[in-house]
Amino acid sequence: MSIGELRDPRKTFGAAIAAVAEADERVVILSADSGKSSGFTDFAAKHPDRYFELGIMEQCATGVAAGLATTGKIPVFCAIAPFTEVRPYEMVRNDVGYMRQNVKIAGRNAGISYSDLGSTHHSLEDFAVMRMIPGMTVIAPQDPTEIEAAAQAILAHHGPVYIRFGNDPIPELFEPGEFVIGQARLIRELAAPGRPAVTIISTGALTNAAIGAAELLDAAGIDVELLGMPTIWPVDGAAVRASAAKTKRVFTVEEHYVLGGLGTIVQEVLDGTGVSVTKLGIPHEYATSGPYLQILSSYGLDAEGITEAIQRSING
Amino acid sequence: MSAVTECRYRAAKARQHVVRMVRSSGAGHMGGALSCIDMVTALYFHTMRLPAHDGPWPDAATYLREADPGRDRFVLSAGHKCMAQYAVLAEAGYFPLEVLDTYGKLGTKIPGHPDMWKLPGIEANTGALGHGTAISLGMALGLRGTDARVFTILGDGELPEGSNWEAFAAAAHHRAGNLVAIIDVNGLQISGPVTEVMNMEPIAAKLEAFGWQVWEVDGNDMAAVIELFDALPVGTEKPQAIIARTVKSKGLSFAEGRVEYHYWKPKPEQLAQAEAETQAAVSEAEVQR
Repeated sequence: MSIGELRDPRKTFGAAIAAVAEADERVVILSADSGKSSGFTDFAAKHPDRYFELGIMEQCATGVAAGLATTGKIPVFCAIAPFTEVRPYEMVRNDVGYMRQNVKIAGRNAGISYSDLGSTHHSLEDFAVMRMIPGMTVIAPQDPTEIEAAAQAILAHHGPVYIRFGNDPIPELFEPGEFVIGQARLIRELAAPGRPAVTIISTGALTNAAIGAAELLDAAGIDVELLGMPTIWPVDGAAVRASAAKTKRVFTVEEHYVLGGLGTIVQEVLDGTGVSVTKLGIPHEYATSGPYLQILSSYGLDAEGITEAIQRSING
Repeated sequence: MSAVTECRYRAAKARQHVVRMVRSSGAGHMGGALSCIDMVTALYFHTMRLPAHDGPWPDAATYLREADPGRDRFVLSAGHKCMAQYAVLAEAGYFPLEVLDTYGKLGTKIPGHPDMWKLPGIEANTGALGHGTAISLGMALGLRGTDARVFTILGDGELPEGSNWEAFAAAAHHRAGNLVAIIDVNGLQISGPVTEVMNMEPIAAKLEAFGWQVWEVDGNDMAAVIELFDALPVGTEKPQAIIARTVKSKGLSFAEGRVEYHYWKPKPEQLAQAEAETQAAVSEAEVQR
């Protein structure tokens, strides 16, 4: 594996979870007709006693996961993102959250990555609704190395977790390392004092576009501090405040509605500081369908679009 | 002293505890609590393997951390009937009886729907209907390989929740023979007879078609309840369902079988009558005992 190499986020996650599960018999996998696409085919064949196929019944799968967790198991329920959050939301809130159970919910094909399948298959509210559950950790890894490290971290963490990742292969952005839940990653520091400076805070696979935007902005004379935010909740408020104090201008980038997601969280952190927060994401509407990258571009969520939005904002 | 007379006595005491809670709060979901309370009593005082403990549990977290992991589990899917479980847990010594006097009070450990992190002995947070069977199935699957069983009580008014039927199908598919679901068919829900609000009959045939072994019993007849609980097969691959025909508000003469007592806000004279009737029942059961 090397920087820039493209890898399937779903298979990466499944393999990383399965690797831990090999050594830890408490880990059990739940599928809602979703296990194979989540990378658990080999695990299912090897450990049928720790692999529970529930068919297409996500409410039941979520409740079963909570029940399993009460007996000391560490259930991982991985399925298409909207069917792990909004479909069984009451079960997530009550059975997992309110019961404080050690359940890991993995929303794959998240955000708008099930692009051409339409709004039923998009999850553009998952950060918002999942962080409303007290005690829930919400994670959106930015590259395959973070998916792998986060898989280990969420299994080591005792408590409910929602982790989401997309569908299309994504490039490696970072060297493999430890994933610390709740910790931001400083991807790019301010380089040249005196130039106009901005903070970009990005999450999930769009961090790749944010890195590209930072380079374009740098070439255009704008200094960028780029903060990757693979843990949406609890947010690394200290990192946000520290960067915002330097630049006074913050832009958030996420594959989520501009309402209720990372941008809103950052705005909450910076409330009262006078720092302006501009939220780049999906507008609050039933999003268009089509090829994934084209959809993102149409909403300005590629390196060029992010660059333009920031330049527009700075130039007034 | 037979199991039946002992459980009758304990159920009589538990009914008295329910009225005590209503006095504390001024109101409560009494009807369903009293329809299922004989079965809850039989489970705790006869059927289930309970975790050994010397005296009351200090708190819920200690219970969840230290209670024998091989214990049988009880999940009240119809969480609004929680006064039945609180009463029986108190009677069984899980916590001091004085806790019953906090029902409806600020910061109580016995809220209007059970919270496993507040009261020792509660295994799941229920209240939203249609959750208990899936949670119980998860417990049953997690306890597979042990001889622990999981018992859950649902209300008949709860059955229209589709999530129940997901769990019924999944339990049979996964051969969860260590799961016992008791449907408390008292026939009444808040707006009227269950068969008029949303008719789910024939419940037994439906559960059989879903792959469950189905039993029927008079859920307020302690002898019949205990006989059936004793007859439940162990080591089976089929989940077990019990259709328990019961009387709502059983034990309070003025309220039995009357829909308006689903949630009861008693007038003082009614409360006095309830206390007298439940005290008389305890005295009678004490003599039998």
